[in-house]
Amino acid sequence: MASLGEQFLRRKPVGVMAEETGADTEGGELKRTITLFQLSLFGIGATIGTGIFIVLTEAVPIAGPAVVFSFVFAGVVAGLTAICYAELASAVPVSGSSYSYAYATMGEGIAMIVAACLLLEYGVSAAAVAVGWSQYLNELLDNLFGFTIPESISNAPEADGVINLPAIVLIVLCAALLMRGASESAKVNAVMVLIKIGVLVLFIAVGLTGWSSDNLSDFTPFGVNGITSAAGIIFFSYIGLDAVSTAGEEVHNPRRNLPLAIITALIVVTSIYLLVALVAVAAQPLAGFEGQEAGLSAILESVTGSSWPASVLAAGAVISIFSVTLVVIYGQTRILFAMARDGMIPPFFHRLNPRTLTPVPATIVVAVLISLLAGLLPINFLAEMTSIGTLVAFLIVSIGVMVLRRTAPDLPRGFRVPLYPIVPLASIAGCIWIIQDLRAVTIYVFFGWSAVALVWYFFYGRHHSLLGRSSP
Amino acid sequence: MTLVVGFAPDGRGRGVLHLAAMLARSTGDDLVVCAVIPAPWPPSPARVDAEWRAEVEHLANDALDRARERLPEDIPARYLIHHARSAPAGLLEVAEEHEANVLVTGPMGSTTGRLLHTSPVPVAIAPRGFRCPPDARVTRVTAAYAGADDDLVVAAAAVAARVGASLRIASFAVRARPPYTSGVGRTADDAMLADWVREIESAARSTLETVGHLPAAPRALEAVVGHGESWEEALEDVEWHDGDVLVVGSSAAGPLARVFLGSRASKIVRHSPVPAVVVPRGVAVELAEEAAAPA
Repeated sequence: MASLGEQFLRRKPVGVMAEETGADTEGGELKRTITLFQLSLFGIGATIGTGIFIVLTEAVPIAGPAVVFSFVFAGVVAGLTAICYAELASAVPVSGSSYSYAYATMGEGIAMIVAACLLLEYGVSAAAVAVGWSQYLNELLDNLFGFTIPESISNAPEADGVINLPAIVLIVLCAALLMRGASESAKVNAVMVLIKIGVLVLFIAVGLTGWSSDNLSDFTPFGVNGITSAAGIIFFSYIGLDAVSTAGEEVHNPRRNLPLAIITALIVVTSIYLLVALVAVAAQPLAGFEGQEAGLSAILESVTGSSWPASVLAAGAVISIFSVTLVVIYGQTRILFAMARDGMIPPFFHRLNPRTLTPVPATIVVAVLISLLAGLLPINFLAEMTSIGTLVAFLIVSIGVMVLRRTAPDLPRGFRVPLYPIVPLASIAGCIWIIQDLRAVTIYVFFGWSAVALVWYFFYGRHHSLLGRSSP
Repeated sequence: MTLVVGFAPDGRGRGVLHLAAMLARSTGDDLVVCAVIPAPWPPSPARVDAEWRAEVEHLANDALDRARERLPEDIPARYLIHHARSAPAGLLEVAEEHEANVLVTGPMGSTTGRLLHTSPVPVAIAPRGFRCPPDARVTRVTAAYAGADDDLVVAAAAVAARVGASLRIASFAVRARPPYTSGVGRTADDAMLADWVREIESAARSTLETVGHLPAAPRALEAVVGHGESWEEALEDVEWHDGDVLVVGSSAAGPLARVFLGSRASKIVRHSPVPAVVVPRGVAVELAEEAAAPA
């Protein structure tokens, strides 16, 4: 029997991974067909949207108009982590999530922690966007039909409601579609990205007419602390950027193009976010943000005095957030599938329905849990929890990059972090800085969750690990 | 000529293979056995689904291996995995790519149901639990006939002649008896039904005469009427034996050469004890024109 330490650090051989995913390790290389331009577009599409629809309401009361700096700060940290992640991903010649990469490079225990972070990120962000969706749905219903869903069944208990029913309905709907085997085609995905960018541009254009410099006179009412605290919530709107990191194998000249694509996507996305944030804080006094529902829509309505721009924006949000929820729940169930395949969680989670080939039991469990989160928890808590999961996962990745340079210097890497060791160190520092400024309750809950994951690993994972059983 | 066979990746659907083998042996066509699995999903964030996709592909490969074992060796067949957004959509794509003349699928369910409404090529449906001996051929083609579908009958006759089978025209007189409480008696409709049967029988005779004059006529012709209070009863009322195939036409004509399955046709397919082939109207017309043209 291997010792706990050995178990914790045992790594999944890359050959096994390649076998499982059907990748051909011999002739190993995928075709390098992606250009810098395509990869940048891919990154923009994967990142933009969703978060921006809901974070201003939470972030502006913390940072004031200086929230624009929070966007820059969160964006820079997101970019640094994405570059570090790219090196880790390139060290493993098969595709997978950061859980799979961690398992192959840093060992089982670390992979379990990364998985816990990922599950938190996906589960909680699905809940957060579903809550945001319910707000925009209510706004849209109000504008179009003068009817709103009663507070008691469209708000979490902490926000004077009983349960957030629309959010739950959205999640159940997405889960049902996924169980039937629904997927989003590349075309639909492109349309969704255009809708998101379209409504944000609409917001910027229309919102500019309500520009009032008075609102910006006290630009940093809460100082640097306010800026970094808000960055913790805002980080949530940069999730998705890491999708670029995994394309290392398919991109031309990854050493040059990968960081460039990450930076290009980051600049475009951050610029749009900055404009949205700037227009918002200029159009509405600080006091207006606190507790505002369907923020962007509401601002447009008060700026123009008419309801149609607000309705268009709300409609765009309702459509695009729906697709985001679908994608996130999909991701959640597939991560669980990978973990169950490795024996880290019960085999129940990799059971596929024989006809639809979808992991139906896992989807049901995920839908129930996310529904509970979305139905019962307020949105600011959810947004922060998402951010901390992502931040810790990438903190581990950044540390892992440095550790691997020492422990496995000869490991072939398709991509190496430029300016080593400045980039990973800056990434680590950025993550820690944002994390320590999050609310205490968020950090406690996160530690609680990680402890649960480790206890789970101690009592279940390390005994059931497929890797452990195959090599006694 | 090619038959595309939809084989569910769960490895069930032995009936589909039996039917495909029987049809292919009769017509001399090749088979393309296809397992449709979910297409890769572009927006998947950071490829979290790599493990799942690998598993799905693995399952499909296993299923195709099983299909390879079960199909008789004398039937030339290719096996492939196709990625698509849904099973019906995937089968149609494969059918188009391989210029299939028939799609072979399993019993009525969501996939077959959707195919019947969208397929531009005839769809052959194996009834639940369908089995046939490994050397079976089509020996008789039965065309479902409601009086006005001469094209379908002529098309069926042409196919029957080509595969050396006989032709039968079957009409189905389905009449639920009125409830006792209607006050008109339980046999009030019988006279009307008898009239309809007389009409359909004479129409069938004249259609058979047309068929008899075709350049290539099937070796034997007959017409039958099945009676029953439900479609199931009416279908069982005529005799069936091994080697039978029932041909049903789409009941609606449309500008698109698609199968729009009327309630009559879908009920016949659902209750048919033998394999059914649903032929889109456009295809029936085409086949009938070909058959009528002097060789």
